[in-house]
Amino acid sequence: MTTPPPTPAEPLVRLSGVTYKHYGKTTPSLVDVNLSIQRGSFTLLVGPSGSGKSTLCMLFNGIIPHILGGKLEGKVVVEGQDVSATKVQDLAHSVGMLFQDPEWMFATLQVEDEVAFGPENLRQDPDKIAEQVTRSLEYVGLNGLRKNLVWALSGGQIQKLGLASVLAMQPALIVLDEPTANLDPATTHAVHQLILRLRDEGKSIVLVTKDLDEFMAQADDLILLDKGRVVAQGTPREVIERHGAEMLELGVWLPEPTEVGLRLKQRGLFHGQVPITVGEAADAFGGFNFLEGRTRPEAPTRGEVLVRAENLRFGYNKKSRALRGVSFEIRQGEIAAIVGQNGAGKSTLSKLLVGLLKPTGGDLTLFGRKARQWTVQDLANDIALVFQNPEHQFLTDTVKEELEYSLLAQGIDDPDEVHKRVQAMLKRLEISESEGHPFALSAGAKRRLGVATMLVGGRARLLIVDEPTYGQDKRLTESLMELINTLRKEGITVLMITHDMRLVDAHIDRAIVMADGEKVFDGTPSQLFSSPEVVERASLRPTALRRLTDELRARGKVVPHGLNTVEAFVEAMTP
Amino acid sequence: MNEHTLAYIDQDSLFHRADALSKLLWVVVVIVLAFQTTTMEARGILLAALLVIALLFARVPLSVILKASPLIFGVALLLGLFHFFVTPDEPIFTLGPLHGSQAGLVKGAGYFFRLAIMVLVSFMFIWTTNIRELMVGLTKLGIPYRYAFAIFTALRFLPIIQQEVDAVQAAHAIRGRAARSPWAHRFRLWQRYLFTVIVNGLRKAENTALAIESRGFGAYPTRTYVKPYRLTFVGVLIVVAFMLAGAGLILWEKGLLVL
Repeated sequence: MTTPPPTPAEPLVRLSGVTYKHYGKTTPSLVDVNLSIQRGSFTLLVGPSGSGKSTLCMLFNGIIPHILGGKLEGKVVVEGQDVSATKVQDLAHSVGMLFQDPEWMFATLQVEDEVAFGPENLRQDPDKIAEQVTRSLEYVGLNGLRKNLVWALSGGQIQKLGLASVLAMQPALIVLDEPTANLDPATTHAVHQLILRLRDEGKSIVLVTKDLDEFMAQADDLILLDKGRVVAQGTPREVIERHGAEMLELGVWLPEPTEVGLRLKQRGLFHGQVPITVGEAADAFGGFNFLEGRTRPEAPTRGEVLVRAENLRFGYNKKSRALRGVSFEIRQGEIAAIVGQNGAGKSTLSKLLVGLLKPTGGDLTLFGRKARQWTVQDLANDIALVFQNPEHQFLTDTVKEELEYSLLAQGIDDPDEVHKRVQAMLKRLEISESEGHPFALSAGAKRRLGVATMLVGGRARLLIVDEPTYGQDKRLTESLMELINTLRKEGITVLMITHDMRLVDAHIDRAIVMADGEKVFDGTPSQLFSSPEVVERASLRPTALRRLTDELRARGKVVPHGLNTVEAFVEAMTP
Repeated sequence: MNEHTLAYIDQDSLFHRADALSKLLWVVVVIVLAFQTTTMEARGILLAALLVIALLFARVPLSVILKASPLIFGVALLLGLFHFFVTPDEPIFTLGPLHGSQAGLVKGAGYFFRLAIMVLVSFMFIWTTNIRELMVGLTKLGIPYRYAFAIFTALRFLPIIQQEVDAVQAAHAIRGRAARSPWAHRFRLWQRYLFTVIVNGLRKAENTALAIESRGFGAYPTRTYVKPYRLTFVGVLIVVAFMLAGAGLILWEKGLLVL
C-alpha cells in the first residue's frame, strides 16, 4: 500500500499499459490495456470467448498476479492501491467478485455462515457481521433460507447467495463474471433485476455477460475486448455506433434489436441511431414494412417414432419425483428442445433416454424396445449424448485416438476404414491438432469433438446435446449449430436441452416444456411464445426479437409469423 | 448432493446437536475400542451398536448407509479375506489355489471389524457434523485457523469429487467399449477416471482457493466468528456414555463382568 489514498477525482480502477502473460504461456492474454472505471459507474465487459474478460476481472482483485502468477507489466491501481504491491486479502476490502460458478466459491455449509465468511476473515465485529448478514440476505431475498445447506439451493439461489456474500463485505467495486451463464431465463431476469437495483443505489459494478438486453440502456460504460486488447471503451451507444459491425464480426452476443439495426445499416436500409432497447427498436423500425413468405417452415417432420414415453415417472429416492408422468414422442428427422426452469427434470429425462437411469414408472420405448431391456452400452450405438462438459467424455490422449476409440467401440476395426473415417471427421471438425490432447483444445473445439466422438461411427440415430451455447460466444455457437444442422440433414434426429431461447427460436421445430417434473407444453416455438401462462410457469422468457415483434404488432404493424431469427427478420424488412 | 454418501446430512438428531469436538473425541474413543477389544463378539457388538445408533440417534437414512456400505464393509471385507487366505495355518477352506485357515479366519475377521468400525464411525462424524463448527472448535484448541480450515476443505471436497466421479462415469458409459477384454476396458476407464477427476478436481480446487482468498481468507492471523464455539452437554454425554459402555465391553470380554 505504497500509493497515497485516492483523491475524489481519481477513478476507482486505473490500468496503465497493462500486458499480462499467464504462467507458462507464450502469448499474452492482455496487451497494453489502458482503461479506467469511475466510482459509482456500471461497466459492461464484452468480447468473444478467450478475449481476456475473466483475466481482466482477476486483475482487479489481485488474483492476478498474486495467486495465478504469470508476468504482469504496467500498473493496476484500485482505490489508490497498487495491486502488485497489495495482498489479495487486503484487496478484499475494495473488490468483491462473484464467479461464474459460485458453488466453488462457497466455503461453508450453511447459507448464513457463507455470508458471514468474508467479514469474519476481515475481523469485523461479530454483532455488526450478524446485522450485515441479515441485511445482505434480505437484499437478495434469501433470509427465509438462511439455515439451509448451500448444496440444497437451486441455481438461481446459489447466484443470489454468492451476491449476498459479496455484498456483506461492502466492497467499493463489485465484479460479476457471467453470473447467469447457467440459469433459466426467468431466474436470469430476477438476478439482472438485483444487479440493476445495485446500480440504482450507486454501487460500482463491472459485469461480464452475454445477456446484454437488459443492461445496454442502463450501463455507463461498455468495454470491448478482443485478443486481450481493449478495442473500444465508451457508453454502450457510442461503442455500438462506432464498433457495432466489428462486434458482429467478432461473434459478440448483442441484443437482437441492436443486431437488426446493425444489419440494416450494413445493407444501407437504415441510417438512424442503432437501437439498444426493444422500445427504441420499435420506434426506429416503425417506418419499415414486412414481406410475407420468407419464413422458415415450422411444421414438425412426421417420421418413424424413435422414442415414445408414456406416463413416464422417475424418482431418485422414495420422496423425490423428478418426473411425474411425462408422455411424448420423438420422431425421425426432428430437431426438438427440452426447455424449462432449473431443476424441472430436463437432465433426468436425458439420462433416461441414454439408459443411465431406468424409469421407476410408466413406459419408455427406445427404437421399438422397452428402456428396461436396453443396456447403456448397446444404446450408445443408437443414441449420442453430448455433455455440458465435454471433457468428461474424453478417454484418450489425442484427438485422433478419441475418434478411433469411438469407431472401435462400434466394432469398426479395419485400420484403413478407421483412418479414412477419422481423417474425414477431422476435416469436418476443422481441428488441425489431431495429435493434440483433447483437454488442450479451445472451448469450441472441445464441444465439436464431443459431438464428433458420438457420431463418427455413423450409426447414431438420435443426438442429444446438453446446453449447446454454455460458455460459448456467438461465432462458436453458430459453428456448432452448423455442424448439428448438417447432421440433421443427413437424417440424424436432434434433441437439445437448453435455456437459450434464441437457440430455441432459431433452430428448433418443436419445444417440449418441462415444469416441476411434468410436461406442460409440446409444440412449435411460435405456439410456445404465444402461451404466456406456459412461458411463466416454466420460467421462460420470450427473446428480445419476439418482444420487438409484439411491440410492433401492438403499434399496428403487420409482422408475419415465423420471423424467429435476426436474419429472417432483416430479410423480411423493406423500407 | 443429498444423494451422496460423504456429505453432511441436514437432520435434527442427538448426534447433530452434539458439538464437533466432543464428537471428534467420540470417534477417537470408538477407534480405541475397536483396537482394544480382542474377540469377534465384542467387535460385532460394537459394530452393531454403531449401526443402531446411526439409524436411531443420528437419524441417518438407511438408504445412505446402504449406499455407503461398499466403502464401509466392502473394503473391510477385502482386507479380511486377504488375511483369511494368506495367514498360514491348517486349511479349513479351499478355493482353487487359495487356502483359508482357522488362524486366518480369526485374523481376517479382526481386520474386517476394525476397519468397518473405523470407517463407519468416521462417516457418522461426517454425516452429523457441520464442519465449520469443527473448524471453530479446533481454533479454540489453539490450532491456527488456516490449518483448521484445511481439514474443512478436505471434507468439503469429498462429495464434490464424488459428484465428479459420477459425472465422468456416466459420460464414459455412453462411449461404449473399444477393448475386446472387459478387464482391459475397465482398466482403461479407471485410468481415465483418475486423470479426468484429478484434472477437474485440481481446476476446481484452484477456483475455490481463488474465491476464498479474494474473500479475505488469510488476511490476518486470526479472524472473528459470528457463532462462537460452545461445548454441548449432549456431546459430553455421548463421550462419557461410550467410555463407560466400552469399559464394560472390555471387562465383559475378559470375563470380569458377567451380565
